[in-house]
Amino acid sequence: MIAAAAACPHPPLLFRELTGEQDVAAEIRAACHAALTSAIAVAPDVVVVVGGDRRTASWDPGLAPEVRGFGTTDPRPVSPGLPLSLGVASRLLVETGWHGPVRMHAVACDAGREEVDALAAEVASAGERVAVLVMGEGSARRGEKAPGYIDERAFGFDEATGRALRSGDLTALAAMDPGLAAELMVTGRAPFGVLAAAVSGAPARAEVLYQDDPWGVMYFVASWVFSA
Amino acid sequence: MLKLGRRTFDDTDLLVMAIVNRTRDSFYDKGATWDEQRALDRVRRVVAEGADIVDVGGVKAGPGEHVDAAEEVRRTAGFVEQVRAEFPELVISVDTWRAEVGRAVCAAGADLLNDAWGGHDPGLAEVAAEFDAAIVCTHTGGLAPRTPPHRMSYDDVVASAIADTVALAERAVSLGVDRRSVLIDPAHDFGKNTWHSLELTRRLDEMAATGWPVLVSLSNKDFVGETLDAPIGERLTGTLAATAVSAWLGARVYRVHEVGETRQVLDMVASIQGTRPPSQVIRGLA
Repeated sequence: MIAAAAACPHPPLLFRELTGEQDVAAEIRAACHAALTSAIAVAPDVVVVVGGDRRTASWDPGLAPEVRGFGTTDPRPVSPGLPLSLGVASRLLVETGWHGPVRMHAVACDAGREEVDALAAEVASAGERVAVLVMGEGSARRGEKAPGYIDERAFGFDEATGRALRSGDLTALAAMDPGLAAELMVTGRAPFGVLAAAVSGAPARAEVLYQDDPWGVMYFVASWVFSA
Repeated sequence: MLKLGRRTFDDTDLLVMAIVNRTRDSFYDKGATWDEQRALDRVRRVVAEGADIVDVGGVKAGPGEHVDAAEEVRRTAGFVEQVRAEFPELVISVDTWRAEVGRAVCAAGADLLNDAWGGHDPGLAEVAAEFDAAIVCTHTGGLAPRTPPHRMSYDDVVASAIADTVALAERAVSLGVDRRSVLIDPAHDFGKNTWHSLELTRRLDEMAATGWPVLVSLSNKDFVGETLDAPIGERLTGTLAATAVSAWLGARVYRVHEVGETRQVLDMVASIQGTRPPSQVIRGLA
């Protein structure tokens, strides 16, 4: 049963060591910490992470995040680490001080309904009191400097996602158009869909702590609590 | 020896390739040489400042105004013909990823095809072979033309750059391009973040060790801007520092906006390396 959930973005620049002297993502990271703190405040017996990736797969939560591929001057790790979305989640959990059990699932960004539902069932049955951390973002096509340049449809799409997260609207969250999401470089469609399908009813409290696109990608940080 | 169309260069020569944009929207000059007369004036100026090569581009590297092949030819081919007529010995390069454009500019007198999008159009190398032109083989990390990098991750960015550019170089030779007419370019910032571009610069000797002549395009790029927190317009010092390091580590050709300053840095590095005598040595010798 899902007791609480947090939604966070996973840009590489949430890894503090990747942004150089300036901590450019401090505000976003702080919002993520707050959302995660709310989620673990319900005293879950497990935190289940669901993050968008190329393929659906379960990952060993003990692995280190893969950071070196993006940069730094550190030595190269000998073995591969967690994919980006799960790696950022892992780092956020450490930073928030969660030392309890963790499960990690990557979900393919183009996952279909059955794949999403199957993973949702697994997430929901992970424990008596489950806190879910979903890792995903809105469109990366929100400006001329955005990673995917500009697509005017991104604004309406992201607005709808933000509304669904803010109001705990499961139907809207589950109904995001996969084709359009892919075109708009949205990473959150499948992970948010897993969350919507995993919970058994609307949250008692839903809050969006951050919603902005400082570098052309829409980041949402949201907190849902189902029971005190 | 390096053979760029009608000209040949020694292995110790450090060459300056001056950027001449026939675009309205390129990031640095923002249309300064969109007007053909202004572009010709720039060619005259950079030649006077010591450019060995001019690199004519008809399409902004990043996302922007859509330019189809016909429009790109319109912007570049006639201009190449004019430059060729005025400067018979100047090496003329054209920055394009399209074979169709390559064919038109080679027919107009271009010596070098700067395939900045890493073999996206496999026909471009065939055009180089057909016209006995030279070609630049670049590393883009697999991105399509005009795509900015987004969360690019490499096990080893230098190994990736070497593997991809050397493969493109060997392919060009197999298609009939003169082995002495192939350059490789790690393509700073193309498919790379600032960390990646810094690491490529730091380890440029590994690329030079392949034996293929290395071209670097560092000029005023975002990796300089992010490293020094310097906006466009305040990146020359950083660019020249990267230029000096690259020259020391073995790069041969420098694609730049500021020709005179680059020429001076390259001459200084060459003299430190001992491949170029100082202009004059009088002090202490009288």
